[in-house]
Amino acid sequence: MLEIKNLKVRIQGKEILKGVNLNVNNGEIHAIMGRNGSGKSTLANVIAGRDSYEVIGGDILYNNKSIIEDTPENRALEGIFMSFQYPVIIPGVNNTYFLKAALNAKRKHQGKDELDAVEFLDLIRKNLQIVGMEEKYLHRGVNDGFSGGEKKRNEILQMITLEPNLAILDETDSGLDIDALKIVAEGVNKYRRDDRAIVIITHYQRILRYLEANHVHVLIDGKIAKSGGEELAEALEEKGYGWLDS
Amino acid sequence: MKFLNKEINKSPLFGLNGSDTINSLRNEALNEFNKQGLPNKNWEEWKYSDFSSLNKMSFAFGVRKNISSLPDSFPEINDTNQIVFLNGYFQKKLSNISSKISVKTIEEAYKSDSELIHNLLSPNSNPFHNINSAMINSGLMIIVNDNEIINDPIHIINYTTDLDEPLMNHPLFIIKLGNGSEASIIDHYYGSTNIEYWQNSVTKIKLSKNSSLKHFRLQEESASSIHIADTNYIVEKDAHLNAFHLATGASKYRQNINVNLNDIGASSTINGLCLTKDNQHHDHFITINHLKEKCSSKQLFKYILSDSSLGIFNGKVIVKKGAQQTDAKQSTKNLILNDSAVAHSNPQLEIYADEVKCSHGSTTGQLDQDAIFYMRSRGIDYKTAQLILINGFAKEVLKIISEKNVNQYINKQLSFWLENAGIT
Repeated sequence: MLEIKNLKVRIQGKEILKGVNLNVNNGEIHAIMGRNGSGKSTLANVIAGRDSYEVIGGDILYNNKSIIEDTPENRALEGIFMSFQYPVIIPGVNNTYFLKAALNAKRKHQGKDELDAVEFLDLIRKNLQIVGMEEKYLHRGVNDGFSGGEKKRNEILQMITLEPNLAILDETDSGLDIDALKIVAEGVNKYRRDDRAIVIITHYQRILRYLEANHVHVLIDGKIAKSGGEELAEALEEKGYGWLDS
Repeated sequence: MKFLNKEINKSPLFGLNGSDTINSLRNEALNEFNKQGLPNKNWEEWKYSDFSSLNKMSFAFGVRKNISSLPDSFPEINDTNQIVFLNGYFQKKLSNISSKISVKTIEEAYKSDSELIHNLLSPNSNPFHNINSAMINSGLMIIVNDNEIINDPIHIINYTTDLDEPLMNHPLFIIKLGNGSEASIIDHYYGSTNIEYWQNSVTKIKLSKNSSLKHFRLQEESASSIHIADTNYIVEKDAHLNAFHLATGASKYRQNINVNLNDIGASSTINGLCLTKDNQHHDHFITINHLKEKCSSKQLFKYILSDSSLGIFNGKVIVKKGAQQTDAKQSTKNLILNDSAVAHSNPQLEIYADEVKCSHGSTTGQLDQDAIFYMRSRGIDYKTAQLILINGFAKEVLKIISEKNVNQYINKQLSFWLENAGIT
């Protein structure tokens, strides 16, 4: 589904990704771990299409097609979703309105009819339950007055509502207490399907206790230094990243 | 502005039934203006709004025309008491006013309240006010009697259209709410012409004890116009003013708003939304005078500026000696859509009492690119993302418009403006 080939990315003149290779197939969960500044979030943002990141080499293929020239909205409409490490607060824009605009944009792209207010509310109420969010958060501005945990739940709410094929979760677990973490992991597990794939970017092994990752990769200084199974995550938890430096 | 000396005798209200007093007051006002001259950059209160270009222009009063039906482009708002002016002329046949409201022409008002009219036409520090007094050709006096509650808003439409030559209009509106009365007034200026015109209005509004007024002033003039306005509110004991000023039109617009909170317990809320594009120039100069104790005032003005437009906001709150327990809030927020648009905000406080709560603030910013990326990453296209953010910015001030039909109208006009604001 996702194929990253020798990807090199620069931000404000500084090379952050120095040749990343990654293959993600349908049904898989990949975890990408690494220290702060290793390029994890850059990788997530560049897949989502943030234009302040300059691709200077390599390619990103999604369903066998290069997407590096695509707009962020086209990537989203084609089924790529990134859960933000720092979800953006948009005061004055109602959360329901935002979700509905996003869902209807996607439905329109798929040639489906837009949902009316009642159908939409039914769907959202069901999804709110899955992520353990109170309905009052729908009536606020997007992420406005949300705690760190509520913002992350709101990201997962968007994910399960938009039903992407590829979800990139950028440190969705950071800042969550253990209960919130379980709920978020449960949301992700419910979303999981054979025809979908998930890339989890994380500092810690703990979310992987609730989600079974097929592959674990360690990103060091803009390159994938090591790949393995869940045992790699456990080794990192135990020994830190130092033993991988060479 | 030599044309004023020539045109003064041609005003359809000139002489107001041949009164020498009126004639001498009007000539005095013109003399006063001639002494003052037009404001230019050296006038502190007008430093961003130089009107000396008016010197090179020439305008004449409109031709009297009575129309039998409203044109299609007429800005209707449902369920109102409608008062129509066409190019400065009152269209009695097209107006539809509840018998609960007393409406008088300026001639009629002069007969019943000559002293008031004399006072209003007396020399003023604002040169445009003096021009209005000298040239006065239009307007009305509207009185809501004591304890009367008017449910449907009074919609006064000054409609400018179908001009053959540059027109000027100097209306005087006098609005008085009696003790304990309640009303909503929509003061609407709307233009549909490519010919230049100059609107120079004076509005005097008095809220008597315990009365409550919602005042909406909608300035939607044609781009070919210059609109200058002087709006005065006097708010008496325990009376409440809730005003909203929408401005989208005119090439150059200056609005002087003066509020006197005259007695204990008076309150005023003045909010505004200003939408500018092309080379438009919009300037609000607001003064709130807290004259007695326990009065409160709130202001929230939002500007959305596109292209090479210019927005100016000057808000002054003066708390007089003895006006204890004053509560005054003032805020202005500018959203700049384009690098060549410019906003100047100048909130000022002058406080001469010691037990007061006053706050003021001003922010200017562009659309949040992080928020736009966030929306795009959810499949919302770039243009829609921008529109959602702009609407979100305006919403804070629009959601407080309690009159439903007015709220709908203003939201519609905002959408229309956004469609034409070149957002791609």
